[in-house]
Amino acid sequence: MTRHILRLTIVCLIGIALPVSGDDEIRFNRDIRPILSDKCFACHGPDDAHREGGIRFDQQESVLREADSGLHPIVPGDPDASELIARITSKEEFVQMPPADANKPLTAEEIALLTKWIETGAQWEDHWSWVPPVDPAVPDVSDSSFVKNPIDNFILRRLEQASLTPNAEADRATLIRRVTLDLTGLPPTPEEVQAFIADESPDAYERVVDRLLGSERFGEHQARYWLDAARYGDTHGLHLDNYREMWPYRDWVVSALNDNMPFDQFITEQLAGDLLPDPTPSQLIATGFNRAHVTTNEGGSIKEEVQVRNVVDRVVTFGTVFMGATFECTRCHDHKFDPFTMQDFYSMYAYFNSIDGNPMDGNRKDHAPILAVPSPEQSEHLAELNDKISQLQKDKQKDWPELDAEQAAWELALSEASDPDSAAWSVLTPQEFTSSGGASLELLEDQSILATGKNSPTDNYTVVAKTSGTEWQSVRLEGLTHESLTDAGAGRSSNSNVVLTEFEVFTAPIPENNADPKWTRVKLTGATADHEQSNGDFKVTNAIDGKKKTGWAIEGFAKKEPHTAIFTAETPFGSEEEFLVRIVLKHESVHSQHQFGRVRLSLSEESPVHTNVPAEIRTIAGISSDERNDEQKNKITAYFRDKITKSEDYIAVRDALTQTTKERDEFKATIPTTLVWKEKSTPEPAFILERGEYDQPGEELSRRTPSSLPPMDEEYPNDRLGLAMWLIDSDHPLTTRVTVNRYWQQFFGTGLVRTSEDFGSQGEPPSHPELLDWLAVRFVDMNWDVKQFMKLIVMSHAYRQSSVVSPEKLAKDRANRLLSRGPRFRLDAEVLRDQALYTSGLLVERLGGPGVKPPQPEGLWFAVGYSGSNTVRFEPDSGPEKVHRRTIYTFIKRTAPPPQMNVFDAPSRESCTVRRERTNTPMQALLLFNDPQYVETAIALAQRGMLEGGETAESIAERMLWLSLAREPEQIEVDRLVDAYKQDLETFQSEPEHARELIGLANFPIDESIALPELAAWTMCGNLLLNLDEVVTKN
Amino acid sequence: MSSSRRDFLSHAGFGLGSVALSQLLSPSSANAESGALSALHVPPKAKSVIFLFQAGGPSQMDTFDYKPELTRLHGEELPDEVRKGQRLTGMSGNQSSLPLVGSPFKFAQHGESGAWLSELFPHTARVADDLCFIKSMHTEAINHGPAVTHVQTGSQFPGRPSIGSWLSYGLGSENANLPAFVVTVTKNKSGQPLVSRLWGSGFLPSRHQGVQFRAGDEPVLYINNPSGLSTQSKRNMLDSLRELHSMQLKESADPLLETRISQYELAFRMQMSIPEATDVSSETEQTFSLYGEDSRNPGTFAANCLLARRLVERGVRFVQLYHQGWDHHGGLPGGLRRQCQETDQASAALIEDLKQRGLLDETLVIWGGEFGRTNYCQGKLSENFGRDHHPRCFSTWMAGGGIQGGISYGQTDPLCYNIEENPVHLHDFQATLLHLLGIDHEQLTYKYQGRRFRLTDVHGHVVEDILA
Repeated sequence: MTRHILRLTIVCLIGIALPVSGDDEIRFNRDIRPILSDKCFACHGPDDAHREGGIRFDQQESVLREADSGLHPIVPGDPDASELIARITSKEEFVQMPPADANKPLTAEEIALLTKWIETGAQWEDHWSWVPPVDPAVPDVSDSSFVKNPIDNFILRRLEQASLTPNAEADRATLIRRVTLDLTGLPPTPEEVQAFIADESPDAYERVVDRLLGSERFGEHQARYWLDAARYGDTHGLHLDNYREMWPYRDWVVSALNDNMPFDQFITEQLAGDLLPDPTPSQLIATGFNRAHVTTNEGGSIKEEVQVRNVVDRVVTFGTVFMGATFECTRCHDHKFDPFTMQDFYSMYAYFNSIDGNPMDGNRKDHAPILAVPSPEQSEHLAELNDKISQLQKDKQKDWPELDAEQAAWELALSEASDPDSAAWSVLTPQEFTSSGGASLELLEDQSILATGKNSPTDNYTVVAKTSGTEWQSVRLEGLTHESLTDAGAGRSSNSNVVLTEFEVFTAPIPENNADPKWTRVKLTGATADHEQSNGDFKVTNAIDGKKKTGWAIEGFAKKEPHTAIFTAETPFGSEEEFLVRIVLKHESVHSQHQFGRVRLSLSEESPVHTNVPAEIRTIAGISSDERNDEQKNKITAYFRDKITKSEDYIAVRDALTQTTKERDEFKATIPTTLVWKEKSTPEPAFILERGEYDQPGEELSRRTPSSLPPMDEEYPNDRLGLAMWLIDSDHPLTTRVTVNRYWQQFFGTGLVRTSEDFGSQGEPPSHPELLDWLAVRFVDMNWDVKQFMKLIVMSHAYRQSSVVSPEKLAKDRANRLLSRGPRFRLDAEVLRDQALYTSGLLVERLGGPGVKPPQPEGLWFAVGYSGSNTVRFEPDSGPEKVHRRTIYTFIKRTAPPPQMNVFDAPSRESCTVRRERTNTPMQALLLFNDPQYVETAIALAQRGMLEGGETAESIAERMLWLSLAREPEQIEVDRLVDAYKQDLETFQSEPEHARELIGLANFPIDESIALPELAAWTMCGNLLLNLDEVVTKN
Repeated sequence: MSSSRRDFLSHAGFGLGSVALSQLLSPSSANAESGALSALHVPPKAKSVIFLFQAGGPSQMDTFDYKPELTRLHGEELPDEVRKGQRLTGMSGNQSSLPLVGSPFKFAQHGESGAWLSELFPHTARVADDLCFIKSMHTEAINHGPAVTHVQTGSQFPGRPSIGSWLSYGLGSENANLPAFVVTVTKNKSGQPLVSRLWGSGFLPSRHQGVQFRAGDEPVLYINNPSGLSTQSKRNMLDSLRELHSMQLKESADPLLETRISQYELAFRMQMSIPEATDVSSETEQTFSLYGEDSRNPGTFAANCLLARRLVERGVRFVQLYHQGWDHHGGLPGGLRRQCQETDQASAALIEDLKQRGLLDETLVIWGGEFGRTNYCQGKLSENFGRDHHPRCFSTWMAGGGIQGGISYGQTDPLCYNIEENPVHLHDFQATLLHLLGIDHEQLTYKYQGRRFRLTDVHGHVVEDILA
């Protein structure tokens, strides 16, 4: 190991300070506050609980007055009298600040800056992001030739200070590719590029911009930025990570953007669509924003804890997306850097905790509250079915005279039938009882037999008893419950159910001298029971049908009750003498261990039947028809018609109704649903949670916005709707700034505030504070018109300038924060894939619908999946209308997101993301080289080049270059590509089987006129083009 | 490398920095890439880590924490004065009775150190004198998702970088042709899920995320050329690509493009170095028999242990193995036996193999899970009992680089419920791990959302007593 042990030095990869050159004036917010915040606030800041020395460096009055020590931290104009300077320049262990163990030493530059700041009067500014933006004057610039709109004045002013000039406008091909990619996520076609180059009218560019803003591709592209922030995914994200059906919300975002819904409405509907007057389905779908967080149903989870996690995610997301606030810190303690307290956090929590639904997702795709979202066709079909049902209901309820007669006869028979309970039963006293399965049988005092011990999959009990009498008509089997049995029910199986497959009765005279009895079978012809399992064929007559496979089941998993069956003999049996009766209970069903656990047997001379008619109905039948009240009449009639009647006409109507209702319900289940918000009628109380622990509630809090921000107008309802109105109030300092900054970030790669997720004092201050404010004010002026706002950006010279970098600019403006050149950065994951599909001609464009699963390497889901999950195995879709769709429709399993996306820094959507990293890794190169879908697009691009390019290798190469680069290729590029083609062609011609293998990766038809070795060689060129820096980069 | 390429590069007068150029031209695959730490804070003891993670929560009193008293009180109720009203999971929290259950396995002492091991670890017993058994590990999480995330990232909540990512970020790579952080998951295991975020880089740049090596033809995603494509064709294509890029670079010396060129070359080299690293055909019969027959079957725990040794040999910083299936809510006696059969021999073999090759001194090997299991049974007491999750104590062993072998550290009470002596919190474990690699855990930080984050959050103390 070659490392030396030195003092800590961490290479700071982020937070590159802006060059101050050319602008010597010290600005508190830009130059001083970041130092104080980073190095001092943690112990001398907003957190009341951990403040040292009685000093707050986030408040001017605190630093100017005497501290606990009696010294003044800052004396404006006099660094020598300022204790701050004494401390930061001291080397003494107990004097030095920040203390050595804080690991936050100040640099020499920082010390110099602080000193100079105090020297020049220690000017103070409130933190820039918490004061409302004012409309700044547009600065004058010395050279207005670069000014396309006021954005350029602000940019130029800053460049002039740094002695830089912007680049000239990018060439037309570069420009149209840039703006087409930025607004629609797809590159322009060669024809569009040529038309733009040829268009000499002054508004040529503007018309391109307007065309792009009007395209439906606009919404498909813009939506994905919002979906990162809204943490939209197609699974629940935790534990089983089962499918979640929520794509209607994704489609809502796409269409809201395409419809250019004003941004204030866009956020209001998402935060509080349900609280709007008479909300439309679309407004309810929008509330999915607050449901898109990850959820769990893990066994052992504690519901209250899960609820807290869910609500915290909503509050944190709200803070990040709308306010650029790092609320998460205030979950457990007051913020160390920003003026937010735990009280603030849990008062905000109170807006988001009253959802009317279970915090656990139940592993269901439709985790309530939900909304069904039928397509127009589905609505129509549903209405048809409902009409049919109501017609059938009418038919059913009309007068049916023929039924009335039948009912009267049935009532009479019912009232005369003898009742099993009142019949005289003689309980048998078992003499012998055996179990074929080896269970231990034990005779209890009430003459019932209890089975314990061995519990074989099947078991037949044989019971022999002595009795006498000649007129026995019926045998009764009582399956009794016992506490030793499963769930104290009647059965021995794990779910307490029983299936009696056969019930057999034999008689024999008592043999003499211990001879074997001579058994005669008693023929049983009738069987009734007090209950039969309602699903499947488990009627009691199955127990006397002689078939081993069928049987009587008692539905023991649902009802832990005793059950009785009565079997009637064809003819009375018995004898005057005492005789033996042997009864065999067979449990031989495929359902393992479905044995009775405790049985008692009795004989009767009567033939009572279980009518299965509920006692209530039997009682009504006993009342003469003119004495029944209306309710009784309706009840017995309904019962008769539902269960008893044999009228074919009526049954036809009845069954049609059942069938249609079933059909309707099944159809309804195919209608997509989406997670929405539904507020409880009374708000849930909210408490401060000590250390953020769900089980440590403290003081109860009511709903309130953070106290360091302008308060909510008292006229507003104090709920999520009021919260949305508060956000879009003109004096809210954050909403507009945070939003326009994100748009800026989209187009330029970096926001004016680089830390677009943090506008607090630990975030980076804006590179162009006045421009940020100017944009924020314009956005409101234009009534939150998103398309108009984006047009403002792309019309600026700052956006349109060439991205070519000179050594001078690299030195002075390395990260292009001053915009001395146009934006240039690697395309995002979605754009890369969409571009490849589009330029090769494979892209299938269709708006909306459920997520699709283009192929991905095998085993990615399985490797992390829970065996019980319904997303444990990835099954790729097939067919171009699924696998060649735009990437926004790709199914996102959050615990194993698609590699085509996450290898290129797309987030997993497990939590809110407003800024993606942009890395450059070898894994990305491998993916672009070898991913089957990228290879497929290379084949398609090759075929397209060959079909559209003409006869010669040069013309084919030229066409492929045009399609990929969206510009006129240079001759040397054409030559290079042709060389590469020829080299590969030789290889593939000598090994045609390899060409066949490679082309085999195509899931689309190959034109018959095309020779495979040529196609394979051009495919390699296609693969090369898709990897070309100019292609994978926005220039 | 073809000579034409070398000529091309040496003649190309564009702005590739000298370092980048030398990397590009380096004939060796062993070129290191530095990390964010320009210097280490303490003398490092280990260069690499192999973490044999046993996902699901292995039962401590059936493995390494011998509790005769528990066996004596088998069947009796968990005393309230032991439980102290602490929360239980939703699974056994509603049980009316919490009967203690002693281990059904025999324990014996092994090695000069006399470490107590259950009979399930005959092979581990052989290397007991090389291991340090920590009996007093503890955590706060009681469910798998948060608990595993806690071990791997120092926080129960998703979004933080994992240990391997921190090391890749801080220390860089000893071999830039292989990822610094490699993950393997034993194939065909089921049980509690793993999540790819467990080897994610959180807010660190994504090049620090773990790269999963998989069993089968394609050890790393997209490492293989499409069928029908030879390495030569790929090389030709890359050469053409590079030429086109160089033309672009001449027009504008963009550092972004320079990086891209070098990443393409690195990708090409990885297409050789990774198959070489994963190809075990050169391993001897002796080695296979040391690791056990399973080691011939790619994707098994044994094969992954062997692979881990090959990777640290080649300079991989952190190899994270996952072996699922330790979540024995029921059927513990049979289930645990099976888990141990799958892992015991290869774990011990790894120690022996590293030692033979002189690598154990610079490689830290860790065996452990995310929490322990209860001393009472879940559900009714039966022969086929199970145990619920228990965060208050569990056992982990460490060995190799900088660890004192043949000791046991920390002590639980006689019923194996609470810790009596020398508790080691996950953050202490993490702090110790970093320390062994030369890092002060309070000084490896990354600023994100205004805060300096570190692996140990705001906690953690190095467990000095177990250091060699």
